[in-house]
Amino acid sequence: MIPQLVTLRYRSTGSRGLRLYVPVVPVVLVLSPLLLLAVLGGLVACPFFQVSPAGALRGTARLLWALPGTRIDLDDGQTTLLISVR
Amino acid sequence: MNEQRRQVLEMLAEDKITTDEAERLIDALGRQEPGPGPGAAPSHKPRPKYLRLLMLDNSADEPSRINVRVPLLLLRAGVQLTSLIPPQAVTRINAELDKAGVPIDLAELRPQQLEDLIDQLDDVTVDIDDADSKIQVFCE
Repeated sequence: MIPQLVTLRYRSTGSRGLRLYVPVVPVVLVLSPLLLLAVLGGLVACPFFQVSPAGALRGTARLLWALPGTRIDLDDGQTTLLISVR
Repeated sequence: MNEQRRQVLEMLAEDKITTDEAERLIDALGRQEPGPGPGAAPSHKPRPKYLRLLMLDNSADEPSRINVRVPLLLLRAGVQLTSLIPPQAVTRINAELDKAGVPIDLAELRPQQLEDLIDQLDDVTVDIDDADSKIQVFCE
């Protein structure tokens, strides 16, 4: 399943911090024209770099599908960063 | 814990037997316990889904903490992407690795080998416990 929600939390001493919830599907839909252009550009670039376009598409799709469940949580006492993909 | 083992431990706690005797008795009980019968279903350990890295560092004034959870599927997908590295990039990477004293030829690294490596990660546990810091890497 593709990621549904990406959560980004950033807090630093002396700042208010940032909390961002990104619903992936609506954002992808809104940005779909740009994404389509990017995919086409990538496919055109593949032969120049001797990379299989089908393999590249498959690999990227696998990577996206595998992202849910990823969680990165860093805290160095002054700065806190959380990235979570669900 | 079964009843016989409990009795042995109770006897040890009451100083009725020595630790050596308790050890021998527990060993003997372990040998007596029947293994799974031929008809018994093999026990399936659930396969881990995530690679987890935990780090706690108290050496600085303020303690720092890292908690990373990466799906093993993501590692597999990343490994499969290595087959898409352009040949000229592989040559340059090899040259740089060689310069850094790591003579690894990436062209010789097959995706299947990396897949096997990730499969074996299930049993890997790294546990480093220092006076000021603690690092744990395991699959869950």
